[in-house]
Amino acid sequence: MRVLRTLVQIAFLAGTVVLMARGIAGLTPNTCEAYCPFGGVAALLPLARYGQYTCRLTELNVSLMVSLFVLTIATKKSFCSWVCPFGTVSEWLSRAGRKVFGRSFHLPDRGDRWAMNLRYVVLVLVLLLTWTVWKGDLGFRAYDPFYILFTWGGHGTAAFSFYILFAILAAAVLVPFFWCRYLCPLGAVMDPLSRYGGLRVRRNPEACTECGECDRVCPHQIPVSREIEVTARNCTNCLDCVSECPESGALELSCYGK
Amino acid sequence: MRKAVIIPAAIAVLVVAAFATANLYRVPTLHFPFDVERPAEVGTVEYIVEGVRCRGTSMGFVKMTAEVPGMISVTTYARNNSAIVEYDPAITNPDRIREAFEALVERDGVRYQYFRALSQRDLD
Ligand code: SF4
Ligand code: SF4
Repeated sequence: MRVLRTLVQIAFLAGTVVLMARGIAGLTPNTCEAYCPFGGVAALLPLARYGQYTCRLTELNVSLMVSLFVLTIATKKSFCSWVCPFGTVSEWLSRAGRKVFGRSFHLPDRGDRWAMNLRYVVLVLVLLLTWTVWKGDLGFRAYDPFYILFTWGGHGTAAFSFYILFAILAAAVLVPFFWCRYLCPLGAVMDPLSRYGGLRVRRNPEACTECGECDRVCPHQIPVSREIEVTARNCTNCLDCVSECPESGALELSCYGK
Repeated sequence: MRKAVIIPAAIAVLVVAAFATANLYRVPTLHFPFDVERPAEVGTVEYIVEGVRCRGTSMGFVKMTAEVPGMISVTTYARNNSAIVEYDPAITNPDRIREAFEALVERDGVRYQYFRALSQRDLD
């Protein structure tokens, strides 16, 4: 299962890196932005109001956004742990961090819950600024670690963008999925859909010995051993908890309760 | 855990669906009607302009188009570098418009350099 997920992650990461290399070599004007579903979200208001796109956004961004919504309703936030190249980089960095420091670091529970809401603030700010101060330009590029990394300082970024990128990558080494967990505006958009996502991890209390291994491995600090069904908005269906559970049949995937 | 394959299968289907549906509809990046009276007969020509890549470059293209006589409107589609120009056939024609564009790129290379690579497709 982990192998399958890693293969899918590598495929999307490799595609993005090839696109980046072609862009840097001047072989294509396209960047990862052309394939970003968040672009669809940013395009919605100008589309509704003027029937036109903003900046470099196109039909593909909107279609990918719709696909992402369907995927999230069906499989929770699997986009984050199976597709998103920045999620993959964050995951690998936090694994490396755990190897080096012997553990990962987490905010205290209350602070963590509070900080998770920062994503909504980022989402509202990005959309507001795009439609007002940035006058329809995707000014968020300069602050978006995904864009900065995978265009390697492409159009619209500045020297400070790299400070932001390196700070976020360094934070990911210590705190798993720092960007995804606390700041990613696309994550904020997916949250309400993810809560109702059909494909969920389900715990069978008869087989479970409450050893707590699933809680320990969950990169999103979800208390799996206290749930019957994982409905948490943050669950990315990475299935690490299922892979690591020592009891056969204690954790499995359920599809709309079946 | 066979259910886990639902995830990559759903991803594959939805990525293909996104690319397929994106080709089913077209929304302009910019539609700019010039402040002129619309004649009874209107000609339409499509230019594929490499430099038309976003709303900003579309506006640059509109500025260049505004310098050409007989223009009625410009509609750009950044995804396929397309600019659809409506013109007054009593004043101009697609070849003359194209020549005018090329002359403007020559004259003002700094401002209009992005629009150097340009090909034309008659839509009438
Ligand atoms: S790892 Fe498995 S056995 Fe242990 S608490 Fe979690 S579900 Fe129960
Ligand atoms: S470890 Fe389990 S509960 Fe945690 S995010 Fe992954 S699938 Fe969801």
